[in-house]
Amino acid sequence: MSHLLAFATWLNGSAWSIYLREGDWQFPVIETIHILGLGFSVGTIMWLDLRLLGVAMKKTPVTDVLEQLEPWAIGGFSVMFVSGFLLLLSEPLKCYTTLAFRLKAIMLILAGLNVLYFHRKVMFNMQDWDRNMPWRAKMVGGLSLFLWLGIVIAGRWTAYF
Amino acid sequence: MTFAHILPRAFFIFCENTWPGSYLVKSQWGFAIVETFHIMALGMLLGTLAIVDIRLLGFGMRRQTPAQLYNDLAPWTWLGVVLMVCTGVPLFMSEAQRLSASGPFFYKMVFLTLALVTHFTLHRRVTMSGATVGSGLGKLAGCLSLLCWLGVALAGRAIAFI
Repeated sequence: MSHLLAFATWLNGSAWSIYLREGDWQFPVIETIHILGLGFSVGTIMWLDLRLLGVAMKKTPVTDVLEQLEPWAIGGFSVMFVSGFLLLLSEPLKCYTTLAFRLKAIMLILAGLNVLYFHRKVMFNMQDWDRNMPWRAKMVGGLSLFLWLGIVIAGRWTAYF
Repeated sequence: MTFAHILPRAFFIFCENTWPGSYLVKSQWGFAIVETFHIMALGMLLGTLAIVDIRLLGFGMRRQTPAQLYNDLAPWTWLGVVLMVCTGVPLFMSEAQRLSASGPFFYKMVFLTLALVTHFTLHRRVTMSGATVGSGLGKLAGCLSLLCWLGVALAGRAIAFI
């Protein structure tokens, strides 16, 4: 038995996990907060991505879109992360065995690395981006859009297995 | 309150027996796939609306006027609405009888109607007239719009639980 499975089994039997899983209101309330967080985080991240790709909000300068939407994306993501962590805590064994959730976890990590790459290697001379968008920025935008749509799909499908 | 109080049962049976509802009833993965697109469209729709509404409330993208943001995002808002309706109607048809007895579904439709009415009256007028930036009316429009759309999302989520 792998260490991760042993950990998931232990967590599954912990008092916190049982409290979240077996209560009447806990799961629905957390799930609802998770979905509202989705509207704000994916809803704003998507527009950052589409702006980088040059598809949407073309009349608004790139710096304006990035600087002004980023706090909302981070805020939404924090809500998603905390509520998502509680959802994971409520059914660790189910998440361990579900392929859709494994894919979601991998895509989340990749999305995180993508943001890190953007901040470390791409986010320079942004004032020039309105005239000439660097290919790295477009790549980050495209990848982020692809990963987040994947995360939403995999998240929704976690419930079907 | 539910739709079963208002409409005859024959209507809901008709929905379930008519394409595309009838197809989703029989199909193994059809419902799950359409539901997935419904959720993705939700992200898109709520995102565009929130950006404009938050601006109306005086936060978020303050370097742009609400009118600029609205003009930039309106095509995407409508694409989101169209996607939501095109996925939502088949989803409803496939389980019309269950939804006819669902309280949350009834209130979801109430919130949706309120949201659309707000959008076409107060919201659009306030957003398009640049003069009212940061005004009380603008804040009211942003607040009402956010509340109605969040109501749609919340009631929608509650359908699965209640």
